[in-house]
Order: sequence, then C-alpha cells, then structure tokens
Amino acid sequence: MIIRTVFAFRETSIIIIIIAVSAVLTILTPHFFNERNIITTAIGFAADGIIAVGMTVALVSGGFDLSVGSVMGLSGVTAGALYLAGVNIWAACAMALAAGAVCGLINGYFIGKVGLNPLITTLGMMGIARGAAYVLTQGSPLSLFGIPRSFAFVGSGKAAGIPVIVILFIIIAAVGDFLMRRSAPMRKVFYTGSNEKAAVLSGINTGNVKMGVYLLTAMLAACAGILSLARFTVATPTAGMGAELRVISAAVIGGASLSGGEGTILGAVLGVILLNIINNGLILMNVSVYWQDLIGGAILLTAVTIDLITHRKKIGKARPADLAGRHSLSPDGEPFHGGIQ
Amino acid sequence: MNRRLLITCVLAACAYLSISLTGCNQTAQRAAPVSQSPFVGNPGEEYYMVTFVSGIEYWKGCFKGFKAAGNLFGVTTIYTGAPQYDVNQQVTVLEQVITKNPAGIAVTCMNPDALAAPIKKAMDAGIPVVTFDADAPRSPRYSFLATGNEYAGSVAANTLAGLIGGQGEVVVLTLPAQLNHEQRTAGFKKTLQADFPNIKLVAVGNGKADQTEAAKVLAGYLQAHPDVKGVFCTDATSGVGAATAVKEANKVGSIKIVSFDTDKGTLDAIKEGVVSASIAQGTYTMGYWSMNFLFQVKHELVNPVQGWKSKGINPLPPYVDTGVNVVTKENVDSFYGV
Repeated sequence: MIIRTVFAFRETSIIIIIIAVSAVLTILTPHFFNERNIITTAIGFAADGIIAVGMTVALVSGGFDLSVGSVMGLSGVTAGALYLAGVNIWAACAMALAAGAVCGLINGYFIGKVGLNPLITTLGMMGIARGAAYVLTQGSPLSLFGIPRSFAFVGSGKAAGIPVIVILFIIIAAVGDFLMRRSAPMRKVFYTGSNEKAAVLSGINTGNVKMGVYLLTAMLAACAGILSLARFTVATPTAGMGAELRVISAAVIGGASLSGGEGTILGAVLGVILLNIINNGLILMNVSVYWQDLIGGAILLTAVTIDLITHRKKIGKARPADLAGRHSLSPDGEPFHGGIQ
Repeated sequence: MNRRLLITCVLAACAYLSISLTGCNQTAQRAAPVSQSPFVGNPGEEYYMVTFVSGIEYWKGCFKGFKAAGNLFGVTTIYTGAPQYDVNQQVTVLEQVITKNPAGIAVTCMNPDALAAPIKKAMDAGIPVVTFDADAPRSPRYSFLATGNEYAGSVAANTLAGLIGGQGEVVVLTLPAQLNHEQRTAGFKKTLQADFPNIKLVAVGNGKADQTEAAKVLAGYLQAHPDVKGVFCTDATSGVGAATAVKEANKVGSIKIVSFDTDKGTLDAIKEGVVSASIAQGTYTMGYWSMNFLFQVKHELVNPVQGWKSKGINPLPPYVDTGVNVVTKENVDSFYGV
C-alpha cells in the first residue's frame, strides 16, 4: 500500500534517479557531496529554475516559450542601462520587469487572440528581445561598478547561510507548485492544455488563459535576468542564450508533456536539478570538454528512458478507464470533480 | 623561432619603407620645395572598413585606429558591415562596397573561403584590400593584420605564472572548437610545459560564452581542485563568470584571474582587484596600420621592386602580428574608452 502511494506521485521515479546519480557521484568523487558544492550548484541553477517554473505552466497550457532566454537578457540590460542613465536601481528593475511583461503580453496576444503558433510567435520574440538587448547596449556588456549594496545583496548575499538568490528560487517554485495543484486559474490552464475545445465549450476564455501564461513565463524570465544582473553586476546582451532549451528539457524530464495538459513544477525543478547534477559531476570528475556534451547527453537519455519505463508500468497497472482519462487528471493524480471552481 | 623571423621581417620592411619614403620626400623637396607631402590624400578618397556582427564593441577599437590614420592623411574613412553573424550578408555588403569603387578596403572575414572571391574581385578592379583580425588566406589580399592568438596565450601564461609565483594548479576557461580560442589555449599550455614545470594545468573548461555557465563550470572545478591558484579565461564573458565564481567561493586574492579583452566590465573588475590582469588585443593597431597600408599602396608610395604590380610581387608584409598588451591595476585607467 505504502509503496503504491509513493509511486502514485509522478515525481517519485525522477527523485530515485537523482538519488542514484548522486550516490554514484559521491562514490566517484569526494568533492560532490559537501555543503559548498551543493550551494554553488544551487546558485548556478537558480536562474534556470525560476524560468522553468514559468515554462512548465506554458507546457501544461499546450504551448511553450522560446523567448525566455532572450527576455532574460533584455531585462538585465534594461535595468543596467537605466541604472547607468541615473535611474534608481529598484525603479530600473521595475521597468525591466515591465519590459519583460510587454514581451509576454505580445506573445500572449499573438498566440491567444490572433491564434498564431507558439513556436513561430516565441521564436520571433526571441529575435526581437535579443535584438533589443543588442540595440540598448550597442553590443558591449554594461558594467554596473559601484552598484548599491542593497541590490548586490540580492545577487550575492546570504541569509542563514543560504544564498538569497537560492531562497528566492525556492519561494517562487514552492508558491508556483502550490498554485499549480490547488488554484482555480491553474486548473483552467490544465483544461486549456489537455483539451482546448472542451475548455472553450465549458466556458473558459482560453485566449485570456494563454495571455496570462505567456505573461507569467516572460515575467519570471525577467526576474531571472534581474537576479543575474545583481549576481554578476554586469549586464551582458548575450545573457541567457540557450536557456530556453535547457529549461524545456528540464520540464519534460520532470514529466511535462510537449503536447500539453501534463506537468508539475516540482517535476520541472527536479529536472533542472538532475541536469545540473550531471553537469557538475562531469566537471568534478574532470571529464574533457570535448566529451562533456556527449556523455551528458547519453546520461540524460538513459535517465529519461528509465523514467518513462517506470511511468509506463505504473500506468499499465491502472484501470483502462483511468488510462483513457489520463489527460484530464489533475497534477496530484486525482480526477477533477465538478468543473471549474 | 618563426615569430622572431616574422618580427625581423616586419621591422626590416618598416625600416626599408621609412628609408625609401624619406628618400622620396627629399627628392620631392628638391624638385619643388612648396609641393605637397606624398602623405596627403584628398577628402574625396574613401576607405572602407567592413566587418561582421558590426554592432559589437570589439570593432570600435579597430575603426578608431583606422579613422585616426585616415584623418592624418586627410582622407575619408567609412565603417560598415553585416549586422548579423551571417556570411551571405557580409559578402553582399562587401560586394556593395566594391561597386562604390573606393580607394581601399580593410575587411575582417567571417568565413575565409566565402570572402576570397569578392576580395579577388576588388583587387582585380584595382581596389587595394587588406584583411584584419580574421583572414581569407586564399584571397589575393596584400596583408593580414591580427593578433597572434597562440602568442597571446603564451603572454597570458607568463602573466599568470608571475602572479602565482611560478607554481601551483591552474584552470583554463575557453570556447572549445573555436579556432582563435583553441590557439590561445594551445599557446598557454605550450608555455606552461616549456617554461613552468611547477605549474599544473588541472582542467580546461567550456565557458559556453555565457557568464552564468562559466561561473557554474569554474565553481565545479574549484570544488574538485581546492588548491587552484590561477585561472586563464580566453574570452571576456568567461572572465566575468570566473570573477563571480571566485567571489562566491570567498577566494578573491588567493585565486588570480587573467582574462581577455578590455570591455568595461573586465576593466572595472581589474580596478576592483577581482581580476588581476587581462590580455588586450591591438585593435587600434590593426585599424591604424590597415589604413596606412591601404594608403601607401593606393598612392604607390611603397615600391620594393619597380613595377611590382605587373610582376605579381607583394609590396607589403603579408602578415603583421598586431601584438597584445597586459592590462593590470597599474595601467588599467589608460584602457578605458580605447
């Protein structure tokens, strides 16, 4: 009974894989399992993790957002450029968030209202946001030397021994995961992603849902950009390049489906952790740079296959009726009751 | 060995040039004391600098030198290029510049083969062409002016070795599979092997041209090798990442960083003391001497062999290493705004 309950959680298999990989690394290298390494690794994935929260919601809604890396870069240089122009750093951050929000609303409008494909829309925004970052900086990184300490603290300070940037990531992920499992608006996102026609028929304005989804992904990407600015005190127009694919793969590793209707934030966060543990391990074990991508990719494929096999077994045991209704399951495995609250 | 030979050649060429030019000057003065110096052009002469990813800061330094030399000669200098990392676009821009029949073109080549044909076209049309920073070796250009990347790596090795007292463990952050970065790493490795037996290169990491990734990679290496005393970054973005990783490991001062290039972030980090030194490329030098070469060929001031043009003889040194400078806390102020 207990085992069945434990395995009812979608995330159990990925947690087991993470524990297994960690155990192997602990045996292979003495530098893996210690406080310092865990903290530095966590600082390293905080930005990707924050973006992954939004990306999961986008995947659940049946889309995805390729512009997150560019929006991250744009928000960093927007805040940086405004600060250098004499604007108070916190006001500059607010405006950078607003710039991110504009990108998100444009994405949401074209996807939700005009009905364009998320791939093309967000690919276009990926170019626009990155281009805007280049225009703002004229290509060169902006250095925020002598930035106020209070702002630098967000990027490099610690509270109770834990870096602030990691705490912020944990808060965002925890709130996101809770809302995803419990809140009514997020249920609308699940409905939109699993069966859009049915969602429309049951009175959900899927256009508005999508606007909200892309606003969220862009705002979280902008947050990640501002936190990176606080951490490095340099705003680089190329920041966040390639983040979109890392984050999408992390969310999919964590159980999100590219065809929508499935996925949890806990899963995506675990996916980010798994990817970063693998990279960290390759570095700790001094694997040559020419081999790193190859080995990392192979481990990843193995991990995802193991996850899929265990997941499939679990579904195989379920009753056929459950299986048919799989797409309308809520994230904690319970079928929805009584429509939208 | 090769380098020394090359420097000798360049110096010899310069000496020859200056002698023959002063000679020229004297004859001119004797003939007509009031006549103009041959080093004066006219504003109607247009010299172009053509780049790719034309918006980035790096080229600004090159054009600054190009323009400075152009102003000395009293000619017009124009900067243009392909805004994107797109070889088609760069070829198109170069073709358009050629149609304007300018007095000379200095071009940096995104792809050595794709640009060889348009460069040949320009040369055939009598427009002198030199390449700078990135070459098209199979084109008939007169000269290639650039940083010797292997040499730059060796300068970095000597600098870092000096900073860590000639012994200890070091790490390199680079961009694998990019030729200029591989050459910098190779020069760094060779110099360590040859001259610093007590320095051990424990890891070569991929900076991935992203500060977050570079910081992550270096943080990992610092875990695996807690005694690392020095880091060499072959690009400025890795340098920013490395500085943050060292700060976060509370090892500012005990780990020395040698970075690359002179964007403001790097210079500020040197001022702050997180980065100990950076290797500055001779971007101004590339532009300045490109302009000089073009002007002298255009005005036929350089004549190593009478009628060199018809005899297929190159009047210019085919390769000029524009050198590097080491930026440290002592001289950092003079590199701002270069």
